[in-house]
Amino acid sequence: MSIYLKLVSALIKSVEPSGGEKKRNKVFYFVMSFIAVFLIMIPMAFLVGVMIYSLTAPLIKLGSGQNAVTLFLHLISVFSFVFGLNVIFSVFYFSGDIENLLPLPLQPYQIILSKFTAALISESVMEFIVIIAAFAGYIIASGAPFQSWIIAVLGMLTLPIIPLIYCAVICMLIMLVCHFVKNKDTVNKITSFLTFAVIIGIAAAVSQSGGLDTEHLVNAISAPGNPILNVMNIIFPHIQFLVGATVNNTFVNMLYYIGINLVAIGLFMMLSELIYFRTVSGISHAAASAKKPLSASLEKLRQRSRTITYLKKEFRILVRTPAYFMNCVMINLIWPVFLYLLYVLQGKTNFLDSFIYGIHTGSEESVLLFLLGISSLSVLITAANSIASSAITREGKHFAFIKYIPMPYMEQLNVKAMVSIIISGGGMLVYVIAAAIYLGMGIKMTLFCCLLSLLSVSFVSYFGIFMDSISPKLIWDDELNALRGNYYVFFNMAVAILLEAATCAGAYLLFRFTELGALMIIIMLFIFVMLLNAASYLLCRYRATKNIDNLNG
Amino acid sequence: MIKFENVTKVYNKTIRAVNDISFNVKGGEIVGFIGPNGSGKTTTMKMLTGIIKADVGKITVNSFNIRKDPMKAKESIGYISDSPDMFLRLKGTEFLDLIGDIYHVPTKKRQERIEELSTRFELNEALSSPIMSYSHGMRQKIMVVAALMHNPPVWILDEPMIGLDPKSAYELKQMMREHANAGNAVFFSTHVLEVAEKLCDRVIIIKKGDILYDGTLENLENSSKSDSLEEIFLELTEK
Repeated sequence: MSIYLKLVSALIKSVEPSGGEKKRNKVFYFVMSFIAVFLIMIPMAFLVGVMIYSLTAPLIKLGSGQNAVTLFLHLISVFSFVFGLNVIFSVFYFSGDIENLLPLPLQPYQIILSKFTAALISESVMEFIVIIAAFAGYIIASGAPFQSWIIAVLGMLTLPIIPLIYCAVICMLIMLVCHFVKNKDTVNKITSFLTFAVIIGIAAAVSQSGGLDTEHLVNAISAPGNPILNVMNIIFPHIQFLVGATVNNTFVNMLYYIGINLVAIGLFMMLSELIYFRTVSGISHAAASAKKPLSASLEKLRQRSRTITYLKKEFRILVRTPAYFMNCVMINLIWPVFLYLLYVLQGKTNFLDSFIYGIHTGSEESVLLFLLGISSLSVLITAANSIASSAITREGKHFAFIKYIPMPYMEQLNVKAMVSIIISGGGMLVYVIAAAIYLGMGIKMTLFCCLLSLLSVSFVSYFGIFMDSISPKLIWDDELNALRGNYYVFFNMAVAILLEAATCAGAYLLFRFTELGALMIIIMLFIFVMLLNAASYLLCRYRATKNIDNLNG
Repeated sequence: MIKFENVTKVYNKTIRAVNDISFNVKGGEIVGFIGPNGSGKTTTMKMLTGIIKADVGKITVNSFNIRKDPMKAKESIGYISDSPDMFLRLKGTEFLDLIGDIYHVPTKKRQERIEELSTRFELNEALSSPIMSYSHGMRQKIMVVAALMHNPPVWILDEPMIGLDPKSAYELKQMMREHANAGNAVFFSTHVLEVAEKLCDRVIIIKKGDILYDGTLENLENSSKSDSLEEIFLELTEK
């Protein structure tokens, strides 16, 4: 047991910022944590709680009070499974510590269980908050007794176990079946494809359902023999018992819940004893290409601008590293799926249809909202894909390269920003143009939308690089850790969301409560985004370069 | 060609990694930098290449101050770091092409240099493969090729022999000698005293950030009662 705990502690420490990093930027770290927790996590948790509360109250009258929270916890488990697949794969098979752990006299289950626990803790912090918020909404609406809170906390800490066990079992089975592949990149491509397929599958399934307005949902959830709930109860059988225990405070339900979790852990450990060592040995990171004669290789060499070559280097690394490709590039393809879901799930309120009608009829409010939406999406996507906010972190152990080559820091940072602008902005332009065509906008308006989108992307790109330069996480054993274990990616997202929310709220309030027309507000918005660009560029020019200069490579 | 003047580096305001050191390396010289682990060798080399900022003192490379004229100074340097695990996702040729463009090496010269160096290090057929598929030794070799491709006047090599097979180590030592004979400077760190003994015109011995000895090996041996360089080194560094 003590070996297990020591391993878990060591593995968690390896993905966290070091004490030195935290100490160096104590004030900054505190401010960023405050913004992330109080302005993003807590409001989000509050929204979840309110949603579950408002669904539970009418459901109780129909005699299916626990269905809303059950369905929500199923949904959380599905997300946990989808996004956990890649993480578990990386942690079990491709992290740098495996080569150090395998020669030690440890049982497979000791390695697997400690790695699993470390991944569970570091990956589920956000999930814990959402789960407890859902329980809070439910407990308050149903007036359940105080003991329910204790069960809810237990549920919060243990709910993600079974979805992640599913991920772990699937990973080991894939490695067993694909053992002949023995190559990290190929396996990563398989999991990326699987993740993408599951997300599309969810979107397709949801698009078959009706809207998500409260009345429709309450009717659907309370329907006897709800088919979705029935299927989900088979896939995640523990959830119904946990909810049952919270509602009725029954000891039997709690025993079932704990029992199912223990059986799952036991089976998982048995399977890892049988499979893990067989599947983990001999994994390579990349296959050698077919050998070519030197003359053929030399022919391709040409002197070009160093900016272009550096840009190509950045693109190659982003695209060829599966963890970066999935988290930084592919995410640009996934978010339109979520937008589509939003469109499908709007239900009877049909906000988007009335908004589209507003654009067609030249409603100033709709046009303003459309532009604010474009700017917000551009900011969110650029911050979420973390291409810019992990640009220096991704250099990792070869960060010194930035410092010893004869290429000014700002020139290198410009290239890094350009990569983010091309990938995030390129994606945005396709969607903006498609939306403009769909909405029948004129060329001038379309061009303006594109320009606003690019400026929003560019501002977040430079700002993200500046944020990353403050304290990049240069020591990581696995590329996924460079992104996931990096709090600054999250901080950057928090600041970007905050700034964009303030901008949108400000613009909309000006429109509603002043005499300024939409055109004037749009001009002000444009000037404001330009100013943000100038500020973030100057931050990079004068602060980020200094930060890099001060970092010991 | 390399000049250190009263250079000091302190980490976290407490750890004095390099303490007021001064030395120089002239053109035509191979100077070995020797010291136990944690003596300040890598910190010195990193300050020399601009990776780490010195707290006090002045560092000049090929007459350019590394702080005031960093681009010119860096262009004069061919640097091999202590870790060859760099840009593993790039193919060998892609990495060399990147280095060629950063150091403005013309196409023809680039092709000739790569051909010459990769032939000497038997790297020809591997250049089309990703660096990730290379062994440690091959990664070290491609770092050597990259560092020397632009034929810089100052070579700074941090433990360059680690991971090299005997033939490649021999080739590198030959090249270091040829480079110095052409009037250039070679400054390298090593733990292998035999290499220093055979190759260096001069050695600098450092311990806990202080230079203990700077001079020829001949003088060092003459000034000590011990028989071997190994014994002299231990005598100096374990005082």
